[in-house]
Amino acid sequence: MEKKKNNKKIYMALGAVGRNLGLTLFGLFALFPLVWMVLCAFKSDAQMYNTVFRFTPTLDNFYAVLVRTDYFKAFFQNLVVAGGAVIITVIAGVPCAYALARYDFKKKEDVAFQILSFKFAPEIMVILPIFLIFQKIGLYDSYFGLIWVYQLITMPLLIWVVRGYFEDISVEVEQAAQLDGYAWYEVFLKTLLPLIKPGLVASGLLAFIFAWNSFTFPLILSGFKIQTITITALRYISSDTVHYGQVAVASTIAVLPEVIVALFIQKHLVRGLSFGAVKG
Amino acid sequence: MAQIELCNITKKYKKNTALDDISITIKDNEFFVLFGPAGAGKTTLLKIIAGAEFPQEGLVKIDGKIVNHMESKDRNISMVFENYALYPNLTVYDNIASPMRSRLYRKDENDIKTAVNKVTELMKINHLLERKPSQLSNGQRQRVALGRCLVRNPSVFLMDEPLAHLDAKLRHMMRGELKEMQTSINSTTIYVTHDYTEAMSLADRIAVLNKGKIVQLGTAQEMYFTPRNEFVACLFGEPEINIIEAQIYHESEKVYCKAFNQDVFLYPGTDVGKILTGEERSRVDMGIRGTDIEIAFERPGDDWLEGCVYANEPIGNKVIMTLTAAGNKIAITCPNDTKADLDATVYFKINMDKVLFFDSETKEFITRSDMKKYKKGEETDT
Repeated sequence: MEKKKNNKKIYMALGAVGRNLGLTLFGLFALFPLVWMVLCAFKSDAQMYNTVFRFTPTLDNFYAVLVRTDYFKAFFQNLVVAGGAVIITVIAGVPCAYALARYDFKKKEDVAFQILSFKFAPEIMVILPIFLIFQKIGLYDSYFGLIWVYQLITMPLLIWVVRGYFEDISVEVEQAAQLDGYAWYEVFLKTLLPLIKPGLVASGLLAFIFAWNSFTFPLILSGFKIQTITITALRYISSDTVHYGQVAVASTIAVLPEVIVALFIQKHLVRGLSFGAVKG
Repeated sequence: MAQIELCNITKKYKKNTALDDISITIKDNEFFVLFGPAGAGKTTLLKIIAGAEFPQEGLVKIDGKIVNHMESKDRNISMVFENYALYPNLTVYDNIASPMRSRLYRKDENDIKTAVNKVTELMKINHLLERKPSQLSNGQRQRVALGRCLVRNPSVFLMDEPLAHLDAKLRHMMRGELKEMQTSINSTTIYVTHDYTEAMSLADRIAVLNKGKIVQLGTAQEMYFTPRNEFVACLFGEPEINIIEAQIYHESEKVYCKAFNQDVFLYPGTDVGKILTGEERSRVDMGIRGTDIEIAFERPGDDWLEGCVYANEPIGNKVIMTLTAAGNKIAITCPNDTKADLDATVYFKINMDKVLFFDSETKEFITRSDMKKYKKGEETDT
C-alpha cells in the first residue's frame, strides 16, 4: 500500500516535469522566429549569414531604418488605417451582429454565411477589380479607401463572435431592462455592452492584428501618399542586395504594438473567444 | 392602479397561433390569475400587456388608453419573468435597484437603499446582496426577480410563475406575503401559474387558458364547483377529478344512473334528475372528486359499488387510494389511517349531491345538484 502511494507520487512528479518540459520545448519552437528576427536586427550585413549565434551587436540597422528613411510616417499611417478599420468594424459590426442574433428575416443564415465567406476568399482574387474601381472613383491611395476595403478582413470575425454573445443573452433581459424604464440605447449601453465586452474586446484585437498585418491590399491599393509598415519593409530589398538586418528592424518595431495590446487584454482574449461566457 | 382591457387579441408566430381572439377586462386592483397547461399562451399574453410582444390583431388598453404603440418603458408596468431575466453582470443589490435608477423612475440613493432593504428582507435574501446572479440558486434568483418587480410602485404587476422554483415551504410563505401585499398596496396584478392551489388561494378571478383560447373566466369557487367542461374540472383539484362514464335510465318520474357495469342504482338529486330527464340522453360523464367518495371494507348497503385496490399512497394528512373498477381508475381521498392490501376488494359510495355531470360527447358541463348555490355570484361578476 505504502509503495503504491510512493509510486503514485513519483508518477505525479514525473508528469509535472514532463508537462513543463513539453511546454518549454513548444515555447522555444513557437518563439524561435521572433528571437531570430530580433537577433538579426542587431547583426551587421557582413555577419548576417553566420549560422552560429556569435556576432558583434550593432545599432547600424536601427540608424538606417529609423533615421534615414520615413519609417515613422509609415508607422503612423499604418496606425491610422488599422485603427480606423477597427473603429468602423465595431460601429457597424455590433449592430449587424445584433440583427443577425435577434431578428428573424428571410435568408438570415445565408446573409450570415456570406459575411463569413469574405474571410475565405483569398485577397488576391478580388484585388484586381477593386484596384480598377478605386482608380475610377478616386479612392486609390487614400485612407478611406484602405479602411473601407479592410472591412473585408476585419468585419466577419467580429460579427460572428459578437453574434454568438448576443444569442447567449436571453431576450427577456432586454425586455426586463425596458420595463425598468430604460430607453433602447440605455438598454444597449448598460445591459448588453457589459455582457458582450469580452467577445468584443477579443475580436476587436484580432481585427486590429489582421488590419495591421495586411499586405496584399496596401501593396496594390496604396501608392506614394500612404504607405503601411508591411509595404515599407519591402523597401530594404534593393536591386543588388537584401538588407536583412533592416527588414528585421522594421518588422521588430512593427510587431511591438500588437504585442503590447495583446498583453494588456490577455485575460479577455482566452475567455472572449470561448463562447457562452455570459450564462447567468 | 389601472384597469386593463384586452380586445380581440390575436398573436401568431409564423403559422402557430399563440393567442386566438382573446378579450378580457381586468379590473382595477384585481388579482387576476391566468391559469392553464404549458403552451397555452399565458406568457405570451403577459408579454403583450407588458409591451414586449405585439399582437397582430386586437387592442390593449390600460386605463382606457390604447397602448398598442406605446413602448414598454412608458407603460409603468413591472414584471417577473419566468426565466428571471436578471442582469448577470450586476450584483443582487444593483439588480433590484435597477428600476429606480432609470431616468423614468429615478430616486435618490438613500431611498433606493431603504426600498431595496425592505424588499430583500421580505424575500429573505438580504444576506445575498453582494452576490452575482450566477452565484445564486434558482430559488434565490427567483426571489431576486420578484424583488426587482416589487421594489417599484407601478400601476400593474405582471408575474410569470414567480414562485415556481421555490421550495414548498417558502412558496407557501411567499403566497401569503403576496396576498397580503395585494390588499395593502392596491395594485392590479396579473399572475401566471400552473399550480391550482396558488391560483385558487390568490385569485380574485381566474382565466383558464388552453391552446390560445379562454376556456373559462370566473372565481376560484366557480372553477372548482361548476367548471365549464371536463378540461377545467381536471385542472383543479388533487387528486385529479375522476371522470366516469355512466348510463342513464329513465323509470317513470325518476332517473338513475349505472356505472362500472355494476348493478347498483345511483340516484342523482331531484334538480339534476329533472334536467337529465328533459334531455334525451342515454349516457353521461360523471365527474367525482376524490373527497366525495366514501370507502368501506365490507359492503354496508346495496348502493355501494365494488372495486379493487390498485395503489395506496399515504401523503401525511391523508391517503390517496386508487381503485380499479371495470377498467376505470378511481382516486379516492381517505383518512390518514386507512390501510389496504393491494388487490383487495373494497366498497365505495359516491356522494351523488357532489357529482358534476358532463356531456359524454362534447365534454361540456351540464349541471350539478344545488346549482343555485354555486351560481349565486354570477350576476355580479359578468
